[in-house]
This record gives sequence, structure tokens and C-alpha cells, in this order.
Amino acid sequence: MWKTLIAKELRAHLLSFRFLAGFVTLFVLVVVTAFVLTGDYVRRLDECSARRTELDRYLRTYAHFNRIGNVLRPAQPPVPFQALVRGLTADVNMEAFDNDPLPVMFPLIDLTFIVTILVSLIALILTYDAVSGEKEEGTLKLMLANGLPRSKIVLAKAAGAGLMLLGPLVVSLAAGLLVIVLDPRVDWTGADWAALGLILVAAAAYATVFALIGILVSSVHRSSASSIMTSLFVWTLLVLVVPNLSPYAASFLSPAPSRIKVARETARLTDVDRDDLGRKLAAQYRAEVLREHPVLGERLTEAEVKRRVAEDPQYRAAYEAGRAAVQRAWDEANRVQNAKADELRRDLRKKEEAQTGLARAISMISPLADFSYLATDLSSTGTRNQAHFARLAGLWGQAFYRDYQPRKIEAFRAKDPTGDPWNTAIDMSDAPRFHYVEEGLGGRVRAALPPFGALLGFCVVLFAAAYVAFIRYDVR
Amino acid sequence: MIGTVARKEIVSNILSYKFTVVLLLMALLLAASLFIMHRDFAERTADYQVIRPAPGAPTAVVPPNPLSIFAKGLENAMTRSFEIGVIGVDVRAGQSSGNVIFSFFPAPDFLYIVRVVLSLVALLLGFDQISSERERGTLKLMLSGPVSRAEVLLGKWLGNFASLAAPFLLVTALGTAAMLFDADIRFSAGQLGRFALILALALLYMAFFLSLGMLVSALTRRSATSVIALLFVWALLVFVLPNLGTLVARQFVATPSVQALNEKRAQTWTREILLGIAEGGGLGERMKTISREEDRMEEDFRLKFERLVRLARNINRLSPAAGFLDAATGIAGTGIDEEIRLKAEVIRYKNSIIDPVIADLLAGKRDPAYPAFTYRYRPLGEVFASGAMFDAAWLAAFNILAFALAYAGFARADAR
Repeated sequence: MWKTLIAKELRAHLLSFRFLAGFVTLFVLVVVTAFVLTGDYVRRLDECSARRTELDRYLRTYAHFNRIGNVLRPAQPPVPFQALVRGLTADVNMEAFDNDPLPVMFPLIDLTFIVTILVSLIALILTYDAVSGEKEEGTLKLMLANGLPRSKIVLAKAAGAGLMLLGPLVVSLAAGLLVIVLDPRVDWTGADWAALGLILVAAAAYATVFALIGILVSSVHRSSASSIMTSLFVWTLLVLVVPNLSPYAASFLSPAPSRIKVARETARLTDVDRDDLGRKLAAQYRAEVLREHPVLGERLTEAEVKRRVAEDPQYRAAYEAGRAAVQRAWDEANRVQNAKADELRRDLRKKEEAQTGLARAISMISPLADFSYLATDLSSTGTRNQAHFARLAGLWGQAFYRDYQPRKIEAFRAKDPTGDPWNTAIDMSDAPRFHYVEEGLGGRVRAALPPFGALLGFCVVLFAAAYVAFIRYDVR
Repeated sequence: MIGTVARKEIVSNILSYKFTVVLLLMALLLAASLFIMHRDFAERTADYQVIRPAPGAPTAVVPPNPLSIFAKGLENAMTRSFEIGVIGVDVRAGQSSGNVIFSFFPAPDFLYIVRVVLSLVALLLGFDQISSERERGTLKLMLSGPVSRAEVLLGKWLGNFASLAAPFLLVTALGTAAMLFDADIRFSAGQLGRFALILALALLYMAFFLSLGMLVSALTRRSATSVIALLFVWALLVFVLPNLGTLVARQFVATPSVQALNEKRAQTWTREILLGIAEGGGLGERMKTISREEDRMEEDFRLKFERLVRLARNINRLSPAAGFLDAATGIAGTGIDEEIRLKAEVIRYKNSIIDPVIADLLAGKRDPAYPAFTYRYRPLGEVFASGAMFDAAWLAAFNILAFALAYAGFARADAR
């Protein structure tokens, strides 16, 4: 009986205009998107390697420790998955003068977009008259006259719609992947393929949610004309409205201080205030050193100092003590002021995290948000990857500033004890470079579990609701 | 006769379930959007009070634009603070950049509601105008009376447009009026005028989708077919074309990425400072060189980016949704052109004060005073001349075309 029921659903869909229209739209769109995004990805790869060359040249010729932090910064290279899922990798950098506002106005199109908007729409179109349509045609009465339990009919309808959606999705995606993989410069790893498989499973769950919404709505309404209106109403709210409202709602419920304000405050603490404190401490420490080594009190020109440092070991010891005192003073000033600034930044971060968490929680009412989070996290283009990137950047920072920089400065001082290691060009082409590696699949899957659970939860609840509504349905 | 048909349409709309859903959706979303964007604006205004530059500070900050409640556009980029320093313009973004969820989904402003939801609503009003009357058999009855097909079509269009426009204008007017009670928001007469223009554009935009719905309903025999075809066309026009268009434009115009530009800037200024220290003296000259170099890079980027925007805009014009968005954000003063212009003004401001800024830094002056930055939004004439006029005319042309085709389709239609 199962087979007959599902086969009937499949056949009915296969022959319909809506299935054809949906399939064609989906196919064309996936292929075009894959083509355009692959071109975009390759362009980014080129630019990335050009940037690396530029940086190498700089590091050999002009690198100096005082300002190296402004130049040598961890940067996210393009990930191969970007040819399918753009996620948060779009170039919307509000902290740079030359921003690229096009993606703000016109969000970029990718697989996530196609699944969330188009596939959900197709799912609704396939199912909005699942029950009411059969009632209108009179076939529902006939079916039930055969002694079929209603539960089987609902389940067959859901399964039929789900399978019907999965088919075009797999075919279109396969065509899109062919476009991507045929480009010799795109290199997909096993983890990427696994992630893609999981995204496909999630897409099927997402499409099923909307198919179930269609079945539920159609078994509440007597006529298909009202059923499509209600379905579209629900769809609009869930897909187009709830996710967009959520961050705004969260920012009222859980406010965070403005970034500009905090940046101003910390800049003052670590700049003007730091200089004041540093000067004060330096004068104080130097006075102490001067008491021990009165020789430093003499006023000498730079050349004379150099000569005496080279000739007189006692003067050299005094000179180095004075230098160490100044260094100590500035280190102390930096430590005190940085601690204050860090406190402010920590507070900001905590509040921002609370707000982001709340926004995320609110938006997860919408299956669209669930799928977006899941797909971006699985493909290393979402918030999870941002955290992963920050971790890698921290490790690199340690390798550079804790290990490499002191070593290099020591080597410099050994060669030229009076030279300024901070403002002299040093060849840093041997510096540890930031190397981005994608997070392992395990962590990504763990991050994707809550939204996936939400999608499955929606499926179960909606199926139960559809079943109840269908049991109460008057088939005449 | 047209009046009778229009009246009949309005009455039957009021009685229908469809119209109830449409009305509910419209009222709910417009009210929610206005409320939320109003709160957002109030927060940004409070923010501005904190970050507004002290008198004499070399900082350019534009106060929040009240019209951004309706058309957020690039408002977040425009209200950043630009601090002029010796090594260039230091940019700081506002609050919303901390919460990444903001960057996942577009802002639900008035423009978004009109562009995405109300276009769908207009389609849903129009999709079964002809086909359902045919299915019910009332089309035959109507045409057997002394009324021409053109009159029927026009009457239907007018009746449905009125039932769409009246609640839309009512809810918007109520929402806006509620906002006028807030003492913190003051719309100038000019801004209200601009808002009226945006409303007119919105009506034109919705009218297009209504005509499109009637066109498809005249061409198809069944309402079910017509709604499915229309939903795909809608998704294509509203979502796919504008977003794909910008991506396609990028294939043809190569612009450096923001990241690349940032790295280049950092390399330039650190190099110049280093050379200034190493070669001694002339640090002021080096700083001027930095400023010039940055301007050169900025101009290079801007020229390329403007070309990209032009191409993307022209491709996007295939979709009325993109044209509507461009024109409306342009009128509101939150569009792409406005942001480019603001940045050009900031550069000009920087160049007008960079010499004293450098001199004061080298002299170790603690609290120097500089002239303040003021920004005037583009006058409407310029907005219209630079594309909004074309977009509006294009929308009207879309409208007329859809209606004419609908007439042609209806004239050929079999009424049985």
C-alpha cells in the first residue's frame, strides 16, 4: 500500500506544471550561480597570491618592529567552498575607509540563498493543495473509501513531496558541482565533500519543513485558493521577516555600548594617557639610575656616546642600565594602560556576545536562519569560522611576538648595541607567516548540530500538527 | 462603467479571505518595521550624541539621517566616524558591527517590506483577476453587458490598485504620524517631501506587480498555473536578478578587494615613516607624501568602483526591484552615490586640514582646533539627474508595458 500511495504522489507531481517550472528554475539558477561564484573564487585566489608577493617584498625591505603590527596581519584566504556558500566572507568591512557597499544593498546569491528562498517556495507550491486540492477534485473521498488509515496518507504525502524535492535538488547540485570541479584551480578535499553531503541532508530537512507547512495549511483550509494565501503568509513571516527582525529585537533587549565609543576611550587610555604615565615613570626611574651612575649626567653628543660605549666598559654598563630603566618605565606604562583598556574591551565583548547570542536564539524560530547558520558553519564561512580564525590568529601572534620578535631584536642588538631595533629596517622574510587551515569537520559538525536539531524538531512538530489537522478534516 | 467595475472589485476584495490575509500582512509588517527601525534610529541618535566630535576636533561624523528609518541603505557606512590623522583617515564603525547576526540578513526597513513583501502582495491581488472570473463563469456574464474589455481590465486594475494603495497609505501615514510625536526625530519639510516621493515610487512599484499579475492571469487558463508562474517570476525579479547582476558585473570590472587595499595602505605609510626616521629630518614631508599616496590609491579604487557600480546598476535595471531600491535610497540620501560622495567630501576635508594637522603633531601641540566638517546631502535635482529619474521612468515603462500586454492578452482571451 505504501508503495502505491507514494508512487501516486510522485506521479502526480512529476506530471505537474509546477514541478517542471520549479525544476527548471532551480537547475538554471544553481548552474549559473556555480559558474559565477567559481569565477569569483578564482579571482580571489589570484588576488590573494598577488598580495602575498607584495607582502614578501615589503618584509625584505621595509619591515621594522615598531609598525610591523600594522602590516603583518592574519588574513583569511579564500576557501574552496566559497564557490557554493558565500556566508560572511563578503567584503563588507565597515572599519576600512574604502568599503565595498554593494553586498549591503544586494546580498550575494549562493547555494544558501537558493535553498532558503527558492527551494522553500517550491516546497510550498508543491504541497499547498495536498489535501484541499484532493478534496476539491473529489479523490480524497475515494481514497478514504478504500479503508486507508489517514496517518498513512499524510505520511505518504510528506514522503512524496520530500522525495520530489530531493530529486531536482540533487540533480541541480550535481550539475553545479560539475561546473565547479571542472575548474582546475578549485581543489575540494574529502572534508569538503563530507560537509557538502551534510548540507544536502540539511537542505532536505529544510525543504521537508516547508512541505509539511504546506500539508498542514492545506488540511486546515477547505479551498486551495485560501490555502495558498495562508501558506504564503506563513512563508513570508518565517523566511522574509523573522530573521531580519531578530538582530534589531536583540539589540533592544540586550544593548551593547557603541564600538566607536569604546574605541575612543581605549585609544585615549593607550595613547595620550599612556604617554603621560610613561614619561612620568621614565623620569622617575632615570633619576634612580642617575643616583647610582652619575656619569650619565654628562651632556654628550650621540657620536661621543657611541665612542664611550665602545671604549669604556663602566660607561657601557651605566648606559645600558639607563636604557633598561627607560624601557622598564614604558613597559610598566604600557602594562597599566593596556590592562585598563582590556577591561573596557572585555566588557564590550561580553555584551556583544550576549546580544549576538540572543539574536541568534530569536532568529532560530525561522527555519531559514537555522539553515543559514548550519550551512555557513559547515562550509567554514560563518561565525564558527570567525572564532576559529581568531584562535589561529592568536597562535600566530604568539609565535611572532613572543618567539620571533625578541630573538630578532637580540640578534640586532648583538650586532649594533646602540642602534634602534624598533625603527630600523630588518629583513623579516623568515618571520613566521599566518597560515590558515580549515577547522576539522568534527568541530564544524558539532556547531551545526543545534540548528539541525531545530530543523528536525520543526519537522516532527509540523508532522504531528498536520496529522491532527488531517484527522479532523471533513472530506466531503 | 469603469467606475462600476472598480467598485465591484473593491467590494469583492473586502469580502474575500485573500484580502484579509493581505491586509493583515501589510499592516503587521509595516507597523513592525516602522517601530523597529524607529527604535534603531533613536539608538543611533543617542550614539551620535556620544561620538559627535568636540569643537575643533579633526573628525568628520554625519548625524543619523531620519529618512534611514524608511530606507536604511548604506546609512551604517555613512554615519561612521572619520578621524583625520597624519597617516590618513581612521574609520570607526558604529554599534551594529559587533553583532554578526546583522550581517546575515538584510535590514527590515520600509523599503524592504515594500520591495519584497508588498510586491508579493500586489501579485497575489492580481494573479486570478481574469482566470478566476473565467473559472466561475462571471467573465461571460460581465462581457455580455455593455462594457468593453478595455473597460473591464482598467476597472479591475483601478479597483485592485485602490484596495492595495488605500490600506498601504493609511498604515504608513499612521506609523509616520506616530513617529512625529517623538521629540527626538525631526523631519524637515524637505525630508517629508522626499518621503512623499519614495511613497510615490513605492506605489508605482506595486502597481507594476499588480499589472504583471493581471497579465499572467489573462494568459493562463487556470488560477493555479498563474500563481505558480508568478511566484517564480517574482523570485527572479526581486531576489535573483539584482543579486546575480552585481556578481556578474564583478566578472567584468576588476576592483581590488578592501583587504588588498588596506594592506597596501599600511605598507605605504609604515614605509614612509620608516624612511623618514632613517633618512632623518623631513618627517612632515613624508607625512604629506603619505597623504598624497593614500589619495591616489583611494581615487584609483573609487574610479574602478564607480565603474563597477554603474555596470551593476545597468544589469540590475532588468529587475524593477533593483531600480526601485536604487532610486529610493538615492532620494532618501542613503544610496551608493551618496556614500561615494560623502567619502569624497571627507577626502576634501582631510586635504584642507592635513598641513596644519601635520605641523601641529610635529610641534607637539596637544589641543589644536580645526574647522568643523559639514555635509550637505545631494539636492533632489542631482539625485534625479544621476539615475533616479531614469529608474522612475523605467518603472513607469514597465508598468505600461505590463498593462498593455495584459490588455493584448485579455483581448485575445476566450471568455468561456
